Amino acid sequence: MLPDWMISAPNQFNSVLVANRGEIAVRILKAARESGLKGIAIYSDSDKNSLHVETADESVHLPGKTLSETYLNMELIISAAKESGAQAIHPGYGFLSERANFAKLVKDSGLIWIGPSPEAIETMGDKISARRRMIESDVPIIPGEELAIESGSNPLGVLATSAARVGYPLLVKASAGGGGKGMRAVFEPKMLRTEYEAAAREASAAFGDGTVYVERLLTGSRHVEIQVLCDQYGNSIHLNERDCSLQRRHQKVIEEAPSPAVTPEIRNNMGQAAIRAANAVNYEGAGTVEFLLTSKGEFFFLEMNTRLQVEHPVTELITGIDLVQKQFEVAAGIPLNISQNDIGITGHSIEARIYAEDVSKGFLPAIGKLSMWRPPSTPGVRMDSGFREGDEVTIDFDPMLAKLIVHAPTRDAALRRLDNALSEFVVLGVTTNVGFLRQVSKSEVFSNGLVTTDYLDNISLEDFNEPEISESILISIAAAASRLGLDRNIISGNSEVVDEYSGHSGDPFKTLTRTYP
Amino acid sequence: MEWSIDNSGPRYTVNFSEKEGLLTLSKLISNGEEISFPEISFSKDQQSGRILVELDGIRSFAHVSRCNDEWWIHFQGRIYVTNMHEPGSKESSLSEGSLSAPMPGTILDVMVKKGQRVREGQTLLVMEAMKMEHRIQAPRAGEVTSVYFQKGERVDMGANLVEIGD
Repeated sequence: MLPDWMISAPNQFNSVLVANRGEIAVRILKAARESGLKGIAIYSDSDKNSLHVETADESVHLPGKTLSETYLNMELIISAAKESGAQAIHPGYGFLSERANFAKLVKDSGLIWIGPSPEAIETMGDKISARRRMIESDVPIIPGEELAIESGSNPLGVLATSAARVGYPLLVKASAGGGGKGMRAVFEPKMLRTEYEAAAREASAAFGDGTVYVERLLTGSRHVEIQVLCDQYGNSIHLNERDCSLQRRHQKVIEEAPSPAVTPEIRNNMGQAAIRAANAVNYEGAGTVEFLLTSKGEFFFLEMNTRLQVEHPVTELITGIDLVQKQFEVAAGIPLNISQNDIGITGHSIEARIYAEDVSKGFLPAIGKLSMWRPPSTPGVRMDSGFREGDEVTIDFDPMLAKLIVHAPTRDAALRRLDNALSEFVVLGVTTNVGFLRQVSKSEVFSNGLVTTDYLDNISLEDFNEPEISESILISIAAAASRLGLDRNIISGNSEVVDEYSGHSGDPFKTLTRTYP
Repeated sequence: MEWSIDNSGPRYTVNFSEKEGLLTLSKLISNGEEISFPEISFSKDQQSGRILVELDGIRSFAHVSRCNDEWWIHFQGRIYVTNMHEPGSKESSLSEGSLSAPMPGTILDVMVKKGQRVREGQTLLVMEAMKMEHRIQAPRAGEVTSVYFQKGERVDMGANLVEIGD
């Protein structure tokens, strides 16, 4: 059965396999259901009981231990699609989303690929070719050079010469890197060797490519990106910007839309540049063109992400456009039914990324069982997550637990809403950055909209220490909870702890209201 | 039962007076001495995992969850962890000079050998977890007396990696 909106589409499909896991798989599977499409999940052994599998109408097991045997296994995913009768594949973000050969394999297998063409992915995925295409399309770029380093040769001589031409401070990036992996800042020549070696190692661990790109580091700039939406007929619009300047070691922490630093004039110029960038590769679907915005209002192309972004919800909230639904429509060959003039900005939206990490220990990833998980639920608050109460957080996957997204009429109101939502988020059993996010979002620099991409890396984290509470209060809460019998032994799931005071196992009240597993 | 905020912090014992399901804090002892405390009482709430706290006459909720010997608390918008100890149990501590893995992961590189002198802040080994690199650095100058892992090995959180002597 085809959904109504699909009936006159040239490339019809009634089911979509989501080649991903976690929150983005849940997000897309829910969108599929809402759009009247059958949603099909894939899962590895460790995801057997994960939320995305529960959300799907159907799911296919991927045998294997490692990522390359499962979520990165192209042939296996294609055969899962065939086996389940899926007619389209949505890659989400990460994993295979920016692998041109996967996009090609999907298309060659007679399935619909929900994303841009393999050629567009390939051109934008390679920093050299992207850069060349941007120069041709009159999109401003940052000074830099790429180095083809042959295996077995000593790269440092070539690298040092190139670095001297580009100028310090600079960034050493693996050509195939992304998301902060395989990318290192070098502030002076004597650090070049150490940082290059680290970048090369990270890149080959994560992406299997050791090629290097040297680029001038523009300090004191903001990261501002434009969401574009293009159909198969050359119609392209932009959906305004997102400001992702609050980063730690190139990993985004809080994103917002609109940007406090973008004027209507910059928005228009940047939006047009982003559309030129997208058109230069005949882009189809939803994509993001990232720019560095300097304090003088100049902007430079960073890269184009040829997929849905983690932070896409802030754009959805200020424009009222469901980007995943639009991706389905474009993939079905339906022309865009909105024009640039239809795109406005309603209010302000902020997204905070909730990570399982210990800020006090240098942001080390934290693991454990989410013994209590009670997200805030108030108007103007959206939470996208792949976790639920009782789930185990392991080191096997990304430590992002959830995205908390707020929407309010003004930036100030959105900041207050964010603080309130974070304070109401009860997540126990796993250490998270929730307290840190509260402190950062309330900091003077962030609340005045003055954050640049190097802000978190250059500030003492003690500035974000949470306010102290008296030990006697905490100790007495814990002792009282124990005395009142609130033990919930969640570590060994099926055996209850014997109540230390009454000597009986738990109490019936607890068992009746438990919401897990 | 004894209580502490983190395992190395001071131990407390707690007494309540109880009346019709209402617990009122009556005595707090740390290191053999009575500690002053605010007027605070507790009762069970209808919702599981939540207790009603009345602090200096103001009522609010605390969410609590026990994980082994830890009690996790969400109170007044913040999250805290307290530890529960058997009375008289020893405080756990690693031997002086040992460096333990701050997370589970894989050893990417070992930069030092047994017998080598290292300076404070020198990178001893590089670990990988969650696809990110973390450098393990010497907390002080000294001589490496043991290296427990080789490149490529997987380590659990808290595993002893390297020992540094004087």
